Amino acid sequence: MVGSQSSLREANRARVVDTVKHHGGLTQVELAAATGLSQATVSTIVKELVAAELVEVRNTVRSGRRAQLVTLAHRVGLVAGVLVGTRHLTVAIADVSHEVLAEQVLPLPAEHRADTSLDRAALLVVDLLERVGSELPEVLGIGLGLPAPVDASSGQVTVRGILRGWDGVPVAQVLSKRLARPVFVDNDANLGALAESTVGAARDVHDALYVRAGHGVGAGIVLGGRVHRGVAGTAGEIGHVQVDPAGHICSCGSRGCLDTVVGDRALLEPLRSSHGSLTLRDVVRLANDDDPGCREIVADAGTVIGGVVAGLATSLNPERVVVGGVLAQTGEVFLGPLREALRRRTMLNQVTPLEVVPAALGVRAELEGALALALQSTDLLERPDDVQARVMTGKGSQ
Amino acid sequence: MTARRTPLLALRQVSKYFGAVEALVEVDLEVHAHEVVALVGDNGAGKSTLAKVVAGVLTPDSGLVEIGGEPATISSPSAANQLGIASVFQDLAVCENLDVTANVFLGQELRGRAGLLHDGRMEVETRKLLEHLTVRIPSVRTPLRHLSAGQRQAVAIARTLIGDPRIVVLDEPTAALSVAQTAEVLTHIERLRELGLGVILISHNLNDVRAVADRIVVLRHGRNNGGFPASASHEQILAAITGAV
Repeated sequence: MVGSQSSLREANRARVVDTVKHHGGLTQVELAAATGLSQATVSTIVKELVAAELVEVRNTVRSGRRAQLVTLAHRVGLVAGVLVGTRHLTVAIADVSHEVLAEQVLPLPAEHRADTSLDRAALLVVDLLERVGSELPEVLGIGLGLPAPVDASSGQVTVRGILRGWDGVPVAQVLSKRLARPVFVDNDANLGALAESTVGAARDVHDALYVRAGHGVGAGIVLGGRVHRGVAGTAGEIGHVQVDPAGHICSCGSRGCLDTVVGDRALLEPLRSSHGSLTLRDVVRLANDDDPGCREIVADAGTVIGGVVAGLATSLNPERVVVGGVLAQTGEVFLGPLREALRRRTMLNQVTPLEVVPAALGVRAELEGALALALQSTDLLERPDDVQARVMTGKGSQ
Repeated sequence: MTARRTPLLALRQVSKYFGAVEALVEVDLEVHAHEVVALVGDNGAGKSTLAKVVAGVLTPDSGLVEIGGEPATISSPSAANQLGIASVFQDLAVCENLDVTANVFLGQELRGRAGLLHDGRMEVETRKLLEHLTVRIPSVRTPLRHLSAGQRQAVAIARTLIGDPRIVVLDEPTAALSVAQTAEVLTHIERLRELGLGVILISHNLNDVRAVADRIVVLRHGRNNGGFPASASHEQILAAITGAV
């Protein structure tokens, strides 16, 4: 069928949808320029897509002129996901069908503080909503992930010192007061576990562990299909399991925690004299480019982390271990030694041997989890009718 | 990648005077490949003067400039280009009425045998550059006046990459940008670093600087007043800027 009229139209339609998805929102004129299609063709395709409820058109202003902004159709309402990392803040806007409409990463300074970072997160949410032609009232809820154990009701970090600059801050209250939308907070590894157990690599098993290896190490525990958080949210905080009784003092106040051995600082320091100043992302890139030094560092981290995960696996007897975080981007360089260490130290049962697999959502697991948390925590039936009304007003093109 | 003992660019004991004004006094600065060095300081601390010395706009009164370990003279902006140094100043120097491609190749247009412009090739190159930097601009044929401040900054940064520079100087790239635009520009800077370039970043915003820099160099009254790793605290750097230490 290649070259036929209908397949050409099909290809053009896909091209328009892909372009809208990539940019968040575009006017019809911009869409014509970005796709290379004529304005008439774009106009026809947009009309078809509006009828198929794939995109929406709303009035906007570009360079002082009225224009038609084309965005993906927002089904029922929107949710926002905010992921606070050690060095990056990621914000995404998605609709209730979990389709990400807009996303932005903001690099953060080391030991960033709650006031500045939450302020920037709030402004980013508003900026991104503007990019997709929406407003705050359309947002049903916001899911936020923190790289520390948190109290689910207030969003406060429950262990002092782990995330300096965020101690004693009721994160959920601060952000929901600012944006006037409900905010739900959880630990990043728990969010990764939530995403992987609902739509990722552990969706078909009841008991699983999600291990996140990046700037620090954490784990999310899924028991009977639900994420187990513990009374203060510290369940699965394997980054603070002791591995070296004579090691360095950790940020949590204890000695020789896993994080002091395989945290980003511990991983980058041995490379400083040979490779200069690197970031964790550099190490992953170099390991994938067959740099022997970086491969060694990543593989050794896999062995140490595997040893600790083995303890958790022995206690909980999960069916699968899903490995995410930036170190998992090196594939078997990291997963191989981790799997080997697990196999050596865990009791091998005859019924279902423990599987170790990479995260299906890759480094996006935590962000997807934040969106999933917002979706699950918001009762869709309670949404105000005006949201429904607003979404339905997508007018035809021209 | 092995240890890079030789910096891409080194300024040693560089001084610049304007009459009685000591703009720069015996300043040292080193930039390595794959490194973002931030230059911070109060108004009039000499940040922009230093940037102009590196960009070849100003010639130092004394001191030594080394590029790749070899003594060099950056006598003019075009000499700086020849030496692999590209700069973006605060006013961006972009043409509002020209499209993205024309701005990226401004003054460095690709020409064919008869001196005709290679429009197609320039467009393809521009698209590739923007993709490299993960810039989101719908079309390279959009005139600059239709772009946001953040997108213009991105075009100005993309322009520096024409001619494969080794060092990029960015003067206040996030001034007057919204948070989303700042986020985009900071991501571009991370990208430049990943591409293996040496970046000199001048900014007032310590938060932005500490987010992307490998090292932070403080200038005070035209003199070096401390160098810090990116992990240094806000207070330490502020103290050096204000002269509390």
